[in-house]
Amino acid sequence: MTGCTPAGRIDMCDSKELLVSFLYDEIDPVAKRDFQKHLSTCVECRDELAELGATRAQIATWTPPDADLGFRIIREAESPKRRWFQWSPAWGFAAAAVVLLSISAAIANLHISYGSEGLTVRTGWNHATETQPGVTAVDWKAKAQELDRRVLDLEQAQSQQSVVRTASASDLSEQRVREIVGQSETRQQRLVSARLAEMMREYDAQRRLDLVSIGQGMTRLQNSSGADLKQTKDLLQRYLVRTALEEKEEK
Amino acid sequence: MGGDLDSFNQLVLRWERPIYALAYRVIGREEDARDVAQETFLRAFRALKGFKGQAKFSSWLYRITLNLCRDWIRRERRTPLVQAPEGVDVIELAGEETPSETVEELVSRHELGRAVAKAMSQLPEEQRTAIILKEYHGLTFQEIADLLDCPLSTVKTRLYQGLTVLRKQLREAGVESTFGK
Repeated sequence: MTGCTPAGRIDMCDSKELLVSFLYDEIDPVAKRDFQKHLSTCVECRDELAELGATRAQIATWTPPDADLGFRIIREAESPKRRWFQWSPAWGFAAAAVVLLSISAAIANLHISYGSEGLTVRTGWNHATETQPGVTAVDWKAKAQELDRRVLDLEQAQSQQSVVRTASASDLSEQRVREIVGQSETRQQRLVSARLAEMMREYDAQRRLDLVSIGQGMTRLQNSSGADLKQTKDLLQRYLVRTALEEKEEK
Repeated sequence: MGGDLDSFNQLVLRWERPIYALAYRVIGREEDARDVAQETFLRAFRALKGFKGQAKFSSWLYRITLNLCRDWIRRERRTPLVQAPEGVDVIELAGEETPSETVEELVSRHELGRAVAKAMSQLPEEQRTAIILKEYHGLTFQEIADLLDCPLSTVKTRLYQGLTVLRKQLREAGVESTFGK
């Protein structure tokens, strides 16, 4: 690469790397100047360079087809626990209703029975015993009356014995009962709150999944419409080309 | 992390067309090229923490794309085949028309593109990839050498051989050069 000496000329003609470097103009200034000098005297290299340059211009015409891209990275929604059935909002509401009813029934101490008197629904904590199978309504009333009578007798006996009961003992018993009731209520409230929070989480997760599913459906629908449009366009294009070719042949 | 995602999606927007174009020219199938481009960004996002900036972001994306293209070619066990469109989309071409270009020239240019696509698909993978990276993405010899893990001289040789074969094939296809002598 020192000029146009016979030896240098042979080297330059053989060095395709040099030719490519010059073609893409990625060559240091000294080598470039030397090669330009060589080109001024070497027709073969000049022609080859021109041909390769023309080929470069030709391949520049190749463009990829238009594509609907619009990629976006999205974060996946938190996946809920897998269940043996697929949750849906309707299932969520139904379950919530059942759970709330159960909790209310538990708090209200709901009793439902069906006997000779028909369906009986009773709430509250005051009834002492449950209905036994085979016990008729008449028997139950008799037993209740008898029990009331015994309690009354017991109270009368106690008052007659003139037993002095200390106020402190009475207060302690009442306070203990209040504590137990309070603890029970707190526990119930915690249970209800925890269950409600869990239900809300499940409902929210399911809602997100549904939204994703709807979004995917919309995308598929749009793609489908795009494909139809493309097909129509292709058909039109082929028709235009065929017409153009026919016109060309006629000429 | 939300900020990371938004920033990355800006990069996706910037690079999705070049990456798709690279994949399409290497493997030659529109749908598969789209899948490769999509997978490229997904992999890049997952490996983002490992990207230390020692290379240009674009080179990093190109490397991922080329690896995926190689996987695709191995998996498909076939030579990439460019799907040249059946006809000329006159409507689309009309939008590209420049004031100095007639419809005939426009159609001729499009047909030339098809001939080039066909000739490129017949090149060996190494030569085709080198030419694609150089001609359509403007990478330097050194960048191509780094991407393809080969010496600089090999890159130049592949470019020379590839261009020479293309010139011959285009001539045989009846594509006349308007340049040169």
